[in-house]
Amino acid sequence: MTQNAGKRILIVDDAALVRTYYRTALEQSGFLVEEALNGLEALEKLLMQTFDLAIVDINMPHMDGITFVRTLRSKELPVSGVPVLITSTEAGPQDAAAARSAGANFYLVKPVRQETLAEYAAIFCGAPR
Amino acid sequence: MVFTETKRYYVERRITERMVATSNPSFSGYFAYLRSELRDEVEQFINAFTVNETYFYREDHQLDCLSTDLLQERVATKRPGDPIRIWSVPCSTGEEPYSIAIWLLENWKEVDAYDIEIVGSDIDTRVLEAAAEGIFGKRALMRLSPELVGRYFHELGDDRWQILDDLRQSVRFSRVNLIETRETRPQGRFDVIFCRNVLIYFDDESRRVAAENLYDNLMPGGFICLGHTESMSRISPLFEVCRYSGAIVYRRPQELRA
Repeated sequence: MTQNAGKRILIVDDAALVRTYYRTALEQSGFLVEEALNGLEALEKLLMQTFDLAIVDINMPHMDGITFVRTLRSKELPVSGVPVLITSTEAGPQDAAAARSAGANFYLVKPVRQETLAEYAAIFCGAPR
Repeated sequence: MVFTETKRYYVERRITERMVATSNPSFSGYFAYLRSELRDEVEQFINAFTVNETYFYREDHQLDCLSTDLLQERVATKRPGDPIRIWSVPCSTGEEPYSIAIWLLENWKEVDAYDIEIVGSDIDTRVLEAAAEGIFGKRALMRLSPELVGRYFHELGDDRWQILDDLRQSVRFSRVNLIETRETRPQGRFDVIFCRNVLIYFDDESRRVAAENLYDNLMPGGFICLGHTESMSRISPLFEVCRYSGAIVYRRPQELRA
């Protein structure tokens, strides 16, 4: 828990209930949490604030998770290397492969247990790309 | 709505409130004013007669039944990512729909795997405004542990707490009269309906119409939870009784295949 203190995570999901679910899990493990409702908003937040990790839903309006991570990685920006976990309800190999080739660090299939989320967040916080 | 002799005091009090509010010193004067349908008085009159007193986690054995039995059964035929629709009607000032949201966050481990939509409806537009604002006093929160209050509310001072923005956004509110089919139908079909302690205020005919509307608003195999003193079997033959360890609920039967 103390090792997570001060680490900042951006949750990106269009479902308010899911954001709350992830937020409570991460805050209980000592992380500081910010939220965005889609990929576009997430990019804006990443440009303005520093984050150690982004947890991003694959399926969102305006900008989906795959487009988000591809856009992020393609720019030569100081934030381009921030670790990204993609979440999706699809357990099939297609989305996982798309997430990996777009540049995501890891792929989590929903439902993600709160303890699991906190565990992976701790592992990937500040991880190299 | 039917008011028996024992409710006379209640009726007099509410009408007197409206007479004072509209500056009508006599009942006949107020009645003429009401009939004239000036300044939304009919709506104000209805608002005055709807009872609004509830609290978070009321009848939580039903919430327990929701997460352990009803939703498990509903998702058996769904795929991850599919919508799950839950309706709280009447929702009063929002305690019930927000309780459902908090309960699921705390007790249902698949809350992120489905597109959960919670709708709160009421006939009273004043309570809907309050519900959307999401500010509650100590009494409404008495059944929640300090941990839960800390996690899902922020304190405003003066013994008032506001539910977190994310939770406010996770519930949609709409005005619905349960005995008006043209108002219930546009709400669409739900997996689970909570309709607690309202049918008892209706007369037999209105109760039957409401039950038929609620049936319409359920998906085949969907569930309806009533207040613990109410029984659907006495109102309508349309539903199946389901006995779970935590609660008795009613179900719209699965569609028969020809």
